[in-house]
Formats: sequence, C-alpha cells, structure tokens
Amino acid sequence: MPGHRTKGFCASALTLALCAVLAGCGGSGESVGGGKVVLRYTWWGNPDRAERTEQAVALFEKQHPNVTVQTSFSGYDAYKQKLATQAAGGDAPDVMQLDYRQIDQYASGGVLLDLAKEKATLRTSEIDPGLLGTGRVDGAQYAVPQGRGTETVVYDVQAWKASGVPLPRLGWTWTEWADAVRALARKTGKPGATDPGQSEDAFEVWLRGRGKALYTKDGRLGFTTDDLTRWWTFTDGLRREGAVSPAEQTTQLDGSVENTPLGRGKATSDTNWDAPSSGYLAIVKGGVALAPMPSGKDGTPGQYFKPSMFLGVAANTGHPKEAAELVDFMINSREAAKILGATRGIPVNETIREETASQLKDFDKTVADFQASLEGTLKDPPQAPPSGDNALQTTFQRDYDQVSYTRMSPREAAENYVTEAKAELRS
Amino acid sequence: MTTTDIPAPTARPYQPAGTPKRRPKREREGAAWVFLSPWVLGAIVLTLLPMAVSLYLSFTDYDLFNPPRWVGLRNYVQMFTEDPRYWRSVITTLTYVVIAVPLQLALALLVALALKSMKRGRAFYRSAFYAPSLLGASMSIALVWRALFNDGGTVDNLLGTGGWVNKPGWALLAVALLTVWQFGAPMVIFLAGLQQIPAELYEAAAVDGAGRWRQFRSVTVPMLSPVLFFNLVLQTIQAFQVFTPAFAVSAGKGGPADSTLVYTMYLYDRGFVASHMGYASAMAWVLLLVIGAVTAVLFRTSRSWVFYASDADGGVR
Amino acid sequence: MTTVSTSVSRKPVRWGRLALHLGCLAALLIMLYPLAWLLATSLKPADEVIASLNLLPSHLEWSNYKTAFEGVNDVSIWRLLSNSLLIAGGAVLGNVISCSLAAYAFARLRFRMRGPLFAFMIATIMLPHHAVLIPQYIIFNQLGLVNTYWPLILPKFLATEAFFVFLIVQFMRGLPRELEEAARIDGCGPFRSFFQVVLPLTRPALITTAIFTFIWTWNDFFTQLIYLFDPEKFTLTLALRSFVDASSQSAFGPMFAMSVIALLPIVLFFLAFQRFLVEGMASSGLKG
Repeated sequence: MPGHRTKGFCASALTLALCAVLAGCGGSGESVGGGKVVLRYTWWGNPDRAERTEQAVALFEKQHPNVTVQTSFSGYDAYKQKLATQAAGGDAPDVMQLDYRQIDQYASGGVLLDLAKEKATLRTSEIDPGLLGTGRVDGAQYAVPQGRGTETVVYDVQAWKASGVPLPRLGWTWTEWADAVRALARKTGKPGATDPGQSEDAFEVWLRGRGKALYTKDGRLGFTTDDLTRWWTFTDGLRREGAVSPAEQTTQLDGSVENTPLGRGKATSDTNWDAPSSGYLAIVKGGVALAPMPSGKDGTPGQYFKPSMFLGVAANTGHPKEAAELVDFMINSREAAKILGATRGIPVNETIREETASQLKDFDKTVADFQASLEGTLKDPPQAPPSGDNALQTTFQRDYDQVSYTRMSPREAAENYVTEAKAELRS
Repeated sequence: MTTTDIPAPTARPYQPAGTPKRRPKREREGAAWVFLSPWVLGAIVLTLLPMAVSLYLSFTDYDLFNPPRWVGLRNYVQMFTEDPRYWRSVITTLTYVVIAVPLQLALALLVALALKSMKRGRAFYRSAFYAPSLLGASMSIALVWRALFNDGGTVDNLLGTGGWVNKPGWALLAVALLTVWQFGAPMVIFLAGLQQIPAELYEAAAVDGAGRWRQFRSVTVPMLSPVLFFNLVLQTIQAFQVFTPAFAVSAGKGGPADSTLVYTMYLYDRGFVASHMGYASAMAWVLLLVIGAVTAVLFRTSRSWVFYASDADGGVR
Repeated sequence: MTTVSTSVSRKPVRWGRLALHLGCLAALLIMLYPLAWLLATSLKPADEVIASLNLLPSHLEWSNYKTAFEGVNDVSIWRLLSNSLLIAGGAVLGNVISCSLAAYAFARLRFRMRGPLFAFMIATIMLPHHAVLIPQYIIFNQLGLVNTYWPLILPKFLATEAFFVFLIVQFMRGLPRELEEAARIDGCGPFRSFFQVVLPLTRPALITTAIFTFIWTWNDFFTQLIYLFDPEKFTLTLALRSFVDASSQSAFGPMFAMSVIALLPIVLFFLAFQRFLVEGMASSGLKG
C-alpha cells in the first residue's frame, strides 16, 4: 500500500503515459522475512553512537523474538538526503531519527504516522510536556524527542583563566559577553570567540532573549528586518574590532569541531551545542568547559532545551505496533538508557534522566551537569520550525557571509534574508 | 559522480558502415538490434523515462513529499528574473570553465609532450602523474585540499598569499586546481594521440629545415588536433557539470560568500536541501540546453582548426 | 616550453634529457605532495591532524589504523572491502560487455535511425545526473531493487554510461575494415566477426573502459549512499563518510587511515593494468 505521495507521483507520470513501464505502483511495507517482522531503523551519527545503538537494538531483539531490526546510519548531511530520497520514493524506513527541522516537512508530506494511534504501546508520560510538544505538528504528535541538548559557550579553560578575564556565569548578558570577548582578544592576542553572526541558532538565542522568536505559531517569520539588522550590526562591529573571528576563519566552519576557530587554536571560545563539544577534549590542550549562552538585557534567557533528535514512524509502515515498541524501547527502557548513555543527548525521560545521572562518565557527565545547572531557568522550546527553515539555515549563513566579507551592509543583507525567508515560508 | 574525466580514443573520420555484400540487409539489421538491445533497454528505462519525468517536474512545484503541482513556466521565470543567486552561480560556473579547462588541458598536453620525448622512465612518470586522478574528490582529499590552501597551510607558507579557500576571490581557483591536479585522463589520451603521429612526418619536416618549434606548430598541432578537440569537448561538458570538487573544497556550502557555489551545487541545494525539486529540474534542463549549445558551437568552430588526416569531416559527430 | 624532441636529432642531447628529467621530477614532487600529506596525516595524533602545520607527525599514531581496521558499525573492513570489490567488479564486467556490444552496432552495423540514436547517446553524456536521481530511485524502488547491488550494477549492463560506448565506437572505427571483409567472405555472420575479429582487436579500449569504470565506481559515493541501506552491504567509500559526522565528535585520524586503505586496491588495479593503457592504444593499428 503506497503512501499518497507515491500515488500522486505515479498519477502524474501516468498522464505522461510513462508509468506503463513500471510494473504497477507497489509500495513498501512487505517487510516480513521468515515469519519474522523486519523493521528498518535509520539514524545519523558517528561510529560510537552506532556501536551503542547496535547494542541497544540487540537487546530489543532479545526481548522481542518475533522482530528483527535492520539498522543503518550515516553522517548527518548524507542521512538527510538519503531520507528525503527514500521518502520521495515512498520507501521511508519504519523507524527514523529526525531533526527538529525535518518534522514539519515530513509530517505535512504524509510521511509520518500520527503516534496517537499507537498510544497504548508508546508511553510519553515521563517526558516534559514542553519538550514533547516540539514533536507536534497541527496538534498531532508525529515524533517523540529522544534526547535534549542546549547551546553553550564552550571555552579553552586554561587560556581563559590565564587571561585574567572574569569567567562566564549564569545569567550573563550579551553585553557582558561582548565585553568578555573584547577583553580576551586584548589579553590573548586572538579573537575571543567564533563570530556568532553566521549562526541562525545563535541569532535565535539572542532573539528569544529579547522576547521574540524565529517563527510565529502559525509558521510565519517572527522577527523584522530591524531585528536582524541589529544582530548583524552587533556581530559585524565585534568582528571589525577583532573581538570575534574574522570572515576568513568563520567561513571554514563545516560542522566539525576540528575546523572551528577554537579547534584550530585561533580563538578562545566557540558557541556550539553541548554534546558535540566533547570533540574539543581531544584537540584543545588546555581543556574545555561549558558556560551558558548570554541572555537578554533584562535577564530573559534565550537558550532552551532543544530536542537534539526525534524518532518518528513511517505512515506506511507495515508494522506500526512493532515500530512503536522500538521507539518506546529507545526512549523509555531503563536497560536501553544504560547502554545509550548520553550518545543522543541527555535522556528526555525524566525518571531515567534522574536515575542515570550518577552513572554518566566523562564528558557525558559534564553535559549532564551543565544542563542540570540550567534546569528550571529556561523557557519552553518553540514548536518545530516550518519546513521552509531547511533552506533558510544555509541562506542565513550565506547572507551573513556578504556582511563579513564587507560586500553588503548589515541592513542590505538583512533585507535580502527577510525577502527570501518570506518567499520560502509562503511556498 | 562516476564521470569525472574522460579518456578519448583517437579521432577518426566517420566512415559509413560497410555495405553488406553477401548477406541480406534485413538480417544484418536484425543483428544490429540484438547488439543494441541492452543499450536500448537502458536508454528507455533509465534515461528517457527519468528525463521525461524531470522535464515534467520542471513545470511543477514539487517538494518531494506532496504530489507535484502544475505551475507552468513559473520555475523558469523565477530562475531568470527573481533569483540573483542563480545568476551568481551561472557566472561562477562560467569562470570555473574558463579557468579549469584550459589549465587542465595545457598541463596534460605539456606533460604528455615531455613524456613522449622520453626514452626511459616513461611508464614510471605516467603512472606517477596519474596517481592523483585515482583519488577522485573524496572526503579525505577535500580535507587535504582545504588544509593545504588554508591560511598557514603549505601554499600560504610557500607563496605568502594567505589562505585561498577562505577568500572569495581565490577559493574558486583552489577548486579549479583540484580538477587540474587530476589531469591524468586527458594526459593519457594526449600521449596516445602523440604516439600515433608517424615519425616520417617529423623527419620530412626536419629535412625541410624546420626547427623544433616549427615542427611542433606544423606537425604536432595539426596531427593532434582531433584528440585535442575530443578532450576539449568532453572536459568542457564536464566542467559545466562540476560538482564534487566545489562541494568538497567548500564543505558543501559553496562559500565563502557564494564564490564556489557552482551551478550543479546550487541545483542540488535547491532540490535536496530546500526541497524545491521542480525548480531544480528546471535548472537541470536549462543546463542541458546550454551544454548542448556550447557543444554545438565547439563543433562549428572545429571545422576551421581541427585537421583530420582523412578527408571526412569529423570523428566525433 | 617543452617541445617534442624528434627522432631525427642525432646530436647527443644529454643535458636536455637531464633537464627534462629534473623538470618532471620537480613537477612530480609538487603533484604528489598532497598524497604525502594524506599519508602522513593518517599517522598523526588527533590534536595535530588539522591544527599542526608540520608534514610529519610528532609521533606515529598507529592506532588510527587499528581503529580503521575495526571497521564501522560492527562490519569488518574486510567485509566492506569485498563489497566494494563486488560492485566495482560487476560494474567493470557490465560496462565492458554492454558498451562493446552497443559500440559494435554503432560503429559497424547498419540500421534505421542510426544517426539520431547515436546523437541521442552522445547527448546523454551531457545529462546532469542529479536531475534524474529521484525518478531513477522511484523506478528501482518499484522494481523492489533498493538495498540490493542491482541499482549499482544493472545500469552498467545496460550501457548507460554512454561515454564508454562512445570511446569504444571511436576505437572500432579505427580498425581496418579488411579483416572483417575477409571474415565475411569466409562466411562469418556479424556475431562471429564481432567475437572473433573485432573484439580481440578492441582490447586496449576495453582495458581503458575497465580501468576507468573500476576507479570511478570505487570512488562513487552518491549512488551507493542512496541505494544501500543495510550496513552489511556498505562499501568502503560509504563507510568512510561515517567517520565524519557533523553533529558528533568526528575522528579525522582514523578517517585518513581508512582513506589510505581504500586507496590501495585502486592503486593495485591501476598498476596491474596501466601498461595496457597507452601502449595498447598506440599499437593497435589506430594510426591517424
């Protein structure tokens, strides 16, 4: 039974009298092998996450002898594209890991199953309602957050301490942050931080600190050209002063910690997500520590606990019950949590989070402690961004490139961005 | 990304197939279709059908998830009139073609000429010069390239130019150099072509008192022109479709400041990142038509400079 | 400018030769430097991979190779290697067979629509493959062939890489027609004259096709990514990417080590067959 995407696609192809070559329009879902239910489960991640996931899945298979789970993973960019191709071909895996930005698109495209249908199997009672709400589109729960993360100012402890600049503290403002990076630049002779102007994520934190949001509840742009101009003027000024990394450094960001200014030894701090910051341990000799993101003038916190990834079930899966069982296992099973640790972010199941907190080791513990220090101070996360956001993340960085390479003024670039964003959100 | 570079055969005049003398025509026609059958099947199912679908999609709004919606020429209109980034990508691609193709061909030809005149060690050099082409533009070579052309990287240290990959005016050159570096295929083809030039022609030229430069001008160049043309056409086609080196060197972003956002990368970006598959299909069709036109122009000009030893007019029709 | 030294110059040009060799060696040094960098980096400890400017590592970090040999996702490197070999081997076989068949028809046989079909075949070289990716995926999905090696190998058996067809056509056109005429007079049909006369003479072109197919298939990442699901079926190239993940700690050292390992089979394949490349082309009666 094909999803309606496939039908729609073939119908269109038929109008061109092309579908004749295709032997009918069968769909996926006939995944039964040797009397066993076969589930396909995909995620993105690194080899460490893969190893731990494999162990958890093996345990699941032991507990559910009638189910075989076929797993597959790749790096994030590759994964996104592969999943899109599969979804377009009506061949989405039964259980898939999803990013915040993908949910709206996949849900409104009919790829995801409304998980309310499997309520009996999949428990969500132990997840913070605010966090759970991030997996909802138009009132239906299409995905369940699997772990949570938050942004952090990660810094070279040794270098920062040696500079004599006061260490960051909870509740510091953007102005204090700017003063700190300026002072760091003066004392250390290199920029205090990565230029945050290129990052839509950092902008969101700044924006929320001012009581606004990237998107309104009905999926429109939640800020104005003036807001963006102000942000980019702020970061552009710091860059010109040499307080944050120059364009030539910033442009080398490729998602790996190795290529950030901090990773390359060209800056003292970076704004990054908490869990991936573990990568710095191996490359920053002075050791790293995590500090909260700056907040608004009046102390309004901008950062929030963001679901680091979700699990969703394909709408056209042949085995919704077993798929829901797997999702439930990954999120609510104590044994699974023990194996998985914080590899997908700190667990969202609150009981498990409390129970496992003491067992976490190394950087997992650092991250857990960092999040615990923020507990209760942050606001609810926004709902999943509208599908247009996928394209806008790159656009944001591209438009800021025009600013940092001094080809456009912050206002010109902001106008460009807002125009593009409006067009993207309309379509 | 399988077709990265193209080996070419020796160009030969296009001769009509032999006229059968003893067997009836129909039987040979049947035989031809037997030989062709795998290709015909592949061409219909894996080329024509997908092409037709993508042509259809280019007139629709298709986000990969919902059924395509007919929008007529809107994608094309938007592309030509409302998308400045599209035009930037066109200019970037043209710049790349103009830099990479001549550089790569010149280097390939130069090395082939040097190797041709060698008596010993040719096989060694040929393999060694070919080695970079074995790599393709893999993940690791992308990292190597970015490290070499970074500020403080090897190139910066040697030439004092600063980083290349992080400066808008220079990054495309680093991308082009990655292509140029992998000149193995055209080199091998040039070498094959050079070895086919009969030694008698040089001898005759020498007897007429021609110096080396003269011999190069009046023997090597014309005799090699079919191969040169072949390389030129295929490398140009591929340069228009360049994706992997730009993607690799810019870590998939096309930066800095869109300076390496070549056409197919923007196409990929629109189709797979922004989920505007209809728009991407329209871009693909425009690209196909442009490459077709450029190729046609190359063929037109070839009449005045490509010399075929036999009288017929072109080995590559 | 290096010009062609001619076979008629009788004077000893020892200095010229020496300069030529020195020039070539210098060029090689520059050309191969990035490869040396790749090799050296595969032995660097994590904090030197990107940040350090020295070519040589401060100490040899063999653990990068150890990690690489452990494979990815519980799949051993040998498994990945044999998967890659299977796909590349299948692709080579497919291209050599199907492209030479089609090429023979275009080069030597007469049939209706030959001109337009030939033009169409050449035109498919110009097709940007991202444009047909989704339709092709849908077709293979409808045929139930996703997550098998068929989408990677079957197209090669259907001569979809037009440019190899083109390559072989150009070769066959250069073969002396008399041999086939003679065979025909002896009563050979097109099939026998293809297999017994033309094919053996086309060997250099077929070897060229084989080498390029092998290298390109080996390095191809995109198609493998889209069609393969099960890690047991992953190839080396695919597994390599898994070492780099944007949202987690990456492992550049082991990734470089695996790149070096992945490179070895292509180098060996190339070294084994490269001598046929040019000598073959030149000695097969393909004189302009």
